[in-house]
Amino acid sequence: MERIDPEHHDGTSDATPGGEPDKRRPGEMVFAAVMVLASAYLVWNAWGIENPFGPNGLSSPRSIPLATTSVMVISALLVLVNTARLPLDQTETILRDILPVTVMLFAAFLVLYGVLLKPLGFLPTSALFLVIAIKLLARRGWVWTLSVSLFSLLLIWLIFRIVFTVLMPSGIVPEAEVIQFFRGLMSGGAS
Amino acid sequence: MTALMDFLTVFTQPQLLLLVGLGTLAGVYVGAIPGLSVTMAVSILISFTFSWDVYPAIALMIGIYMGGVYGGSRTAILLNIPGAPSAIATALDGYPMAKRGEAGTAIGVTTVMSFIGGFIGIGVLALAAPLVSDFALRFQPRDYMLLAILGILLVGSLSQGSLLKGIFAGALGIAIGAVGRDPLTFAERFTFDFQLLEGGISFIAVMIGMFGVSEALLQLHHVDKDAVRQKIKRIVPSLATVKKHLPLSLQTSSIGVVIGALPGTGGDIAALMAYDHAKRVTKNPEREFGDGAMEGLVAPETANNSAVGGAFIPMMTLGIPGDAVTAIMIGALFIHGLNPGPMLMIDQPDMFWFIVGCLVMANFFMLFFGLTGIRLFTKIVEMPRSVLIPLIMLLSIVGAYAVNNSITDVYWMLGFGIFGYFMRHYGYPLGPVILGVILSRLLDDNWRRAIITEREDLGRFFESIVTSPLSLILFLGVILIFVSQTPLWTWAKARVFGRKENAK
Repeated sequence: MERIDPEHHDGTSDATPGGEPDKRRPGEMVFAAVMVLASAYLVWNAWGIENPFGPNGLSSPRSIPLATTSVMVISALLVLVNTARLPLDQTETILRDILPVTVMLFAAFLVLYGVLLKPLGFLPTSALFLVIAIKLLARRGWVWTLSVSLFSLLLIWLIFRIVFTVLMPSGIVPEAEVIQFFRGLMSGGAS
Repeated sequence: MTALMDFLTVFTQPQLLLLVGLGTLAGVYVGAIPGLSVTMAVSILISFTFSWDVYPAIALMIGIYMGGVYGGSRTAILLNIPGAPSAIATALDGYPMAKRGEAGTAIGVTTVMSFIGGFIGIGVLALAAPLVSDFALRFQPRDYMLLAILGILLVGSLSQGSLLKGIFAGALGIAIGAVGRDPLTFAERFTFDFQLLEGGISFIAVMIGMFGVSEALLQLHHVDKDAVRQKIKRIVPSLATVKKHLPLSLQTSSIGVVIGALPGTGGDIAALMAYDHAKRVTKNPEREFGDGAMEGLVAPETANNSAVGGAFIPMMTLGIPGDAVTAIMIGALFIHGLNPGPMLMIDQPDMFWFIVGCLVMANFFMLFFGLTGIRLFTKIVEMPRSVLIPLIMLLSIVGAYAVNNSITDVYWMLGFGIFGYFMRHYGYPLGPVILGVILSRLLDDNWRRAIITEREDLGRFFESIVTSPLSLILFLGVILIFVSQTPLWTWAKARVFGRKENAK
C-alpha cells in the first residue's frame, strides 16, 4: 500500500500512527531504551511469579506473563536497533516538538487536580482547573474566561450529576443539601 | 419471530429510540470536532453509563459509534482536518472539492455513501454472525488463543506504522491485563508487593488515559489553529451521482466489512485500503485522485461505515473485538454482566438482535442528521480548542473516577495518558495496547486450557494445531504476518510479481 500522509496525521489513528518513518525524533532513542530496560525488569518480575498449587509448568500463572514480557524485550530491542540506525531529525527539538512547556504545565495541572480532588471537592477543583486552563490557552479577558468556564462546568455538573448520577467527592461544597433544596422547591411548587 | 421482535425493540420504545438518536447526533459532532474521537467519547461514556440498564447504555454507545465514524468526514472536507481517524482518506479528495466550492456536493455524497456502506455492513452482520457463532462453538481453546494473537498483530501489520512497535504495544497490553491476582490460582502477578495492585489495573483507566488525556495533551500543539469558514449550497446529491458510484461503493463496502470483521482492525484501516482500491480500479476519473475525485470520497466513506457492522461480527460471536471501539463495547458488556462470545448468541439472542436494530436506527439517524443542520454544525465545530482541551481533560478525570469511585484510577489514567502521549509521538500504535488489555484474560485462560488438555506437552500442542484445519489456518495467518514484515517477503514478492511488472 502506498503511504498516505495528509498534513495532519499526528498519531491520532492506528492506521497512520505518529512518529516519522525514516527519521529519528528527538528523545526517541531515550524512550526506546527506557522501554527495553522496563521490559527487562518485567521479565525478571514475571520469572518470580510462583504457582501456589504446583510446579511452574506451561500451564502455570507464570507462562503468559513471561511470554509477553519476553516478546516486549525482543521487540523493544529491535525497535531500539532500528531507531539507532535512523538519522536524527535536525529540524525538531524536544522543547518545541515533543514536550513543549504547555504540555508539561498541563500534565502538572492534571496531577495537581488529582491531589486536590478529594480534600477540596469536585466543583471547586474543576472550577479552578477550567479557569486557569482556559485563561492560559485562550488568552482572553477575565469576563470571557470566567463565564465560559463556569458555564461549561455547570453544564457538565448538571449532565453528570443529574442524568448519569455520577457521584464525585463533594469536599467543601454541600452538594447534596443544595440538590435537596432545589428538589424541595420543585415539589413544593408542584403541589 | 422472536428475533424480529427483539430487532424491533428499539423501534417500539421511545426512550431507546431517543437515546440512539441523541447518541448519533452527539456522535456526528464528536466525530466532526477535531480532537474528539469516537474511541475517546465511548471510553469516557462507558464509565458514566455503567449504572444504567444494559439496553439504554448500548443504544447510546451504538449511536455515538455510528455517528462518529461518519462525522469525521465533515471537518475532513471543510477544513482538511479529519475529525476522526477513519476520515483521514476522506480529506485527500474532500478538501480539494470544498476548495472548488463543491463542499455541499461532497458532504451530500459522503452522507449517502456512508448510509449505503453502513447498511451493507449491518446486513452482513445480521446474516453472518449467527453462522459464525454456530461455527465458533466448535472452536477449541487454542483457536481462541490464536485468534487473539492474530487480532493484536493485524493492527500493526495493516496500518502504516512499524509492526515491531505494534507487537510491543500488544504485548504491553497483555502484560497490563495480567496485573493483579491470577483468577485461577490466586498467584500475585506484577503486583510489586503493592496491595493496591492486587485487584489489577482498571482497563477503563487505561483506556481513558490513552484515548482521552494523551490525545488532549497532543492537541495542545495545535491550540492556535483557526477554523476556516466555507459556504455550503446544495447538499442532497442527485440520483444519477449515486447510481454512477454504486458499483464502486459495493466493492469498497465489501472491503470495509471484511477489514472491520478482522479482529483488531477498524474503520481507519478499512478507509485507507478502500481508497487504495478505488485508485487502482477507477480507470478514467473525472478528476485526478487527490485533486477532488468523487471516487476518492465514495471509497473511504462507504468502507469506514460498513466496517462498523463488520467490527461487531467477531465481537458478538467470538468475544474478540473488531476494533478499538468494539473493544470498549466488550468492556461495557462485561460490566453489565454479559459475556460476549458464541454463548451470547445462544443464551441471549435478544441482545444480538437488539444491537442490530440499534445499528439500523443509528444509520437512519445518521442520514437524517447528515443532510440537515449544516448551519448549526459550522457554529459548533468552530468551538475553540482552548476551551475544548480543558473540557476533555476534565471529562477524562470524572470518567476515570466515576467507575470505582477511586482516586487511584485517576492516577493510573493520568499515568497512562502521559505514557500514551509519548507513544503517539514516537509512532507506537495505541490500539494494540487496548486490545491486549481486553484480550489478556481470554488469551491466558485459553492458553492454559489448551496446554492442560495436551498434558503440558508442547509437541502435542503443535500436533493438534497442524491436524485441525481451523487452527492451522489461524496459525499460518500469524506466521504470514511475521514473514510479510521480513526482507524475505519483499524478495519473494519481487520473484513472483517481478516479471509482470516488467511486462507492462
